[in-house]
Amino acid sequence: MDALTGALWSSTAAIGISALLFLGANRLFDLVAERWRLFVAVVGAMSGALSFGILIGNRVLDGPRVLWIAAGGAIVACLALAPGLFANHRLRLAVGVGSGVLVGLFLTFVVDAAVRPTVNTIGLLAFVGIACIVYLISAATVGRIRPGGVLVAAALGWTAGCWLLGDIGSGSRSSMALAVIGPTSLIGAALGAGPIRTRPDRDRFQHRARVGTFLGPALLFVVLGLIVPLVRTIYLSLYDARGRNWVGFKNYGEILTNDRSIDLADWANIFTSRLFVSGVGLLAVGAVVGLRLGRRRGRVLGAATGSIAPALVGGSLLMFAVFSTLRGTVINNLWWVIVVTLVSTGLGLVAAVLADRTRFESVAKSLIFLPMAISFVGAGIIWRFMYIARPPQKPQTGVFNAVWVGLGKLAPGTVGQAVGLIILAALTAGMAGICLFGIRRRQSAIAIGAALSALPVLYLAYRLVGPGLGGVEVGPLGQPIGKPILFVQEGPFNNVWMMVVLIWIQTGFAMVILSAAIKAVPGDLIDAARIDGADERQVFYRVTLPTIVPTVIVIVTTLIVLVMKVFDIVRVMTNGNFGTQVIANEMWQRTFTEFNLGLGSALAAVLFLGVVPAMALNVRRMQRVRL
Amino acid sequence: MNVASHSNAEARPPATVRIRSLGRPDRFVYALLRAVPTWALWLLVILWTVPTGSLFLNSFRTRDAQRATGWWASFTEGGWTLDNYGDVLSSSRQTGGLAQALLNSFAIAIPATVIPIAIAAMAAYAFAWIPFRGREWLFIATVSLLALPNQVALLPLLQLFAGGAHWTVPGSGTVVTLFPDLNLAGTLTAVWLTHTAFAMPFAIFLLHNYISSLPDELFEAARIDGADHFTIFWRLVVPLSVPALAAFAIFQFLWTWNDYLIAITMIGANGANYPATIKIASLAGEFGLREHLLSAGAFVQAGVPMLVFFALQRYFVRGLLAGSVKS
Repeated sequence: MDALTGALWSSTAAIGISALLFLGANRLFDLVAERWRLFVAVVGAMSGALSFGILIGNRVLDGPRVLWIAAGGAIVACLALAPGLFANHRLRLAVGVGSGVLVGLFLTFVVDAAVRPTVNTIGLLAFVGIACIVYLISAATVGRIRPGGVLVAAALGWTAGCWLLGDIGSGSRSSMALAVIGPTSLIGAALGAGPIRTRPDRDRFQHRARVGTFLGPALLFVVLGLIVPLVRTIYLSLYDARGRNWVGFKNYGEILTNDRSIDLADWANIFTSRLFVSGVGLLAVGAVVGLRLGRRRGRVLGAATGSIAPALVGGSLLMFAVFSTLRGTVINNLWWVIVVTLVSTGLGLVAAVLADRTRFESVAKSLIFLPMAISFVGAGIIWRFMYIARPPQKPQTGVFNAVWVGLGKLAPGTVGQAVGLIILAALTAGMAGICLFGIRRRQSAIAIGAALSALPVLYLAYRLVGPGLGGVEVGPLGQPIGKPILFVQEGPFNNVWMMVVLIWIQTGFAMVILSAAIKAVPGDLIDAARIDGADERQVFYRVTLPTIVPTVIVIVTTLIVLVMKVFDIVRVMTNGNFGTQVIANEMWQRTFTEFNLGLGSALAAVLFLGVVPAMALNVRRMQRVRL
Repeated sequence: MNVASHSNAEARPPATVRIRSLGRPDRFVYALLRAVPTWALWLLVILWTVPTGSLFLNSFRTRDAQRATGWWASFTEGGWTLDNYGDVLSSSRQTGGLAQALLNSFAIAIPATVIPIAIAAMAAYAFAWIPFRGREWLFIATVSLLALPNQVALLPLLQLFAGGAHWTVPGSGTVVTLFPDLNLAGTLTAVWLTHTAFAMPFAIFLLHNYISSLPDELFEAARIDGADHFTIFWRLVVPLSVPALAAFAIFQFLWTWNDYLIAITMIGANGANYPATIKIASLAGEFGLREHLLSAGAFVQAGVPMLVFFALQRYFVRGLLAGSVKS
């Protein structure tokens, strides 16, 4: 209970303090329009207190802290207010520079002798010059160049030049004076050179300050939590394991050439694998059907279910042939991205279409969507239970292997086999009936579809009667024994069984969004198509599908980005063993268990490079929407 | 008629075929074909429910039953028990100690939901209703970080929390501290801050979509009444944006509750602060005495988000849609 109450207290306190800061900033900027001097005094006091606090924190000043901080606040507040008392421009500048010199002299005497720097004049001038040039370039590109800005930039350059180049501690009092009076008088000059703020000036300033108070916290988190770490990761990826020595692109080279990341050694086996051969066969079937259809329609290739379906299946078989032969972390990641993205989107579309306007739509959709609420870790565990494989002599406790081995055990003459045969016979009869129906109604698609669907059923019947359906092999004594599938351990298809987990989670996501997109297709568009004589199928392919294409693209990019960094599932199920390593898990292991910061960061940078196209696509889309 | 939807169109006779004109066997076949989508849908639903159902049933079975047979055997052979839940929650050597981890999960998820909402709502308001130069590209740049993989920022953030940021000046050897060492490694604060940073792009995107669609006249009227931005934000925008805020809150809660990567990275070896995800992942990593508690543990961990999901599904879906389907 302690952790929870402690966390709640500290988060409440943090939120309270942040809210007070936010309200305080708002109150402070309320002063700008009406009470400018008070605002200047408050800001001056705050920055003075802060800078003296920093000096004390770095043990540059001796003495009681509170006193120094108060003194700093008072001094800088006076410095900031002083030029405002005079209307004459020259007088203002003189007062600004004068008070700056005074503050510098004061600091020269109070600051500890141990931090006095030596001054290298040429380096100092170089730093001042560089700072001014940087300011001029950035101010010219972003907006207007202001004299005050140049002076502040010069002051910063001066400070940096003295303390970064100088030998600290061995300087004299005069070099210290030079190092301190320079910046303070420059800042004083900047304050004195500033224009007298008119009312419109102040209003503009107030408006800008408001933007800052509203955006500031979010931008702080974005910059400190995302952008700076991104830059640092890329920086670290160019250094060695400890992050000390520059190694150039060596880490990236290692990722690209390492056998563990990309192993193309077995590429020749692709062409002899059963997957490849059947894939090519199906592609050929698709091409033949397409050519025939095309001739009838006067085109080169005809697109219809008969040509697209075999081509799609054949294409995916080819893809599996490639990915199951070429091994390695990067290849696995690609495999994940392609399979999970395509299957989740496809199944989501199917589920959305099937559920549309049925009586149980909301129940069915909720149940398919439910895995979205379950963590990747929890999903990994859930599916481990589904995939359990136990020794053949013991009962299988995982659903898949129980079914698989159970089917294998349907020996000839058993009740199970009889039931199986009856079911398969009924299915065949049904297909035959549908085929006849199709022939009589002159619906060749129905007839051919039914006839083709009957083929796998007949094959199953053959397996059931002959060599056995499912996991079975002939034991040493000639009797059949169960042969469970080692879903998690047996490569390379254990990768696919793990992808199933992510597909199980993400299909609901695709379904919900596509379902909403389908419902958002304008009704009059569909009605118009119907009046023109389109049937349901034409309405779907010619009206609904083209309308939801932008949504499909959004889903595909979202899924690519998500699958690219798949981590938890692999970590829980295999931790990258058995040839299932992916980039994110490799990155975590290299970085946080082996502390190879260079290689780990390079792997993270590779992940980042992988999502850059998706980012660019998103930016393009937003620009179109907003401009 | 509405059962037949688009996908069975292929198997569907053209509208000119009248059902009455069909003979009896044809009518039977036709009815069969029309039912195919419904059956396919239910098949999909069953396939999608079996894994969770298996876990649920297994969590109520004794250790011996779980080791001997699959969950379906318990319908005939028995072996049900409630002990797994008690055991996995209580903490001792043989049990899970999940109760503490669940509290930690709440301690992570609640602040990591509240803090980003407040910060992102202000930013979304500024992006939507305060005109300033560079607003467009700043917004697009912020939101484009949506796709940034968390892995990219993990190591630098951990280094920042656990050692601060320092820069050694080349040549002189002086070390300049750019960010102080806050010594946050292993603390929940580090997890909150990381979650907050990672949530920013999506939160700003989602809330901006909603806040920018509020009617213009509202703001005109408020400005004429002399309300400043702070008043408009607090009195007008926040109350009106409750649906969007709720949608994001549910999202972020589920995300932080279910997170494993950020927690294991930021908490590291400090086992006292482990949330439930890490706890069940480590239960899953060992094969031994406590293996039978895994299903109960996983179900307890998943129970909270499932409750949230079922209770607030509408908001959740609305949030998803706002994040994806935009004109």
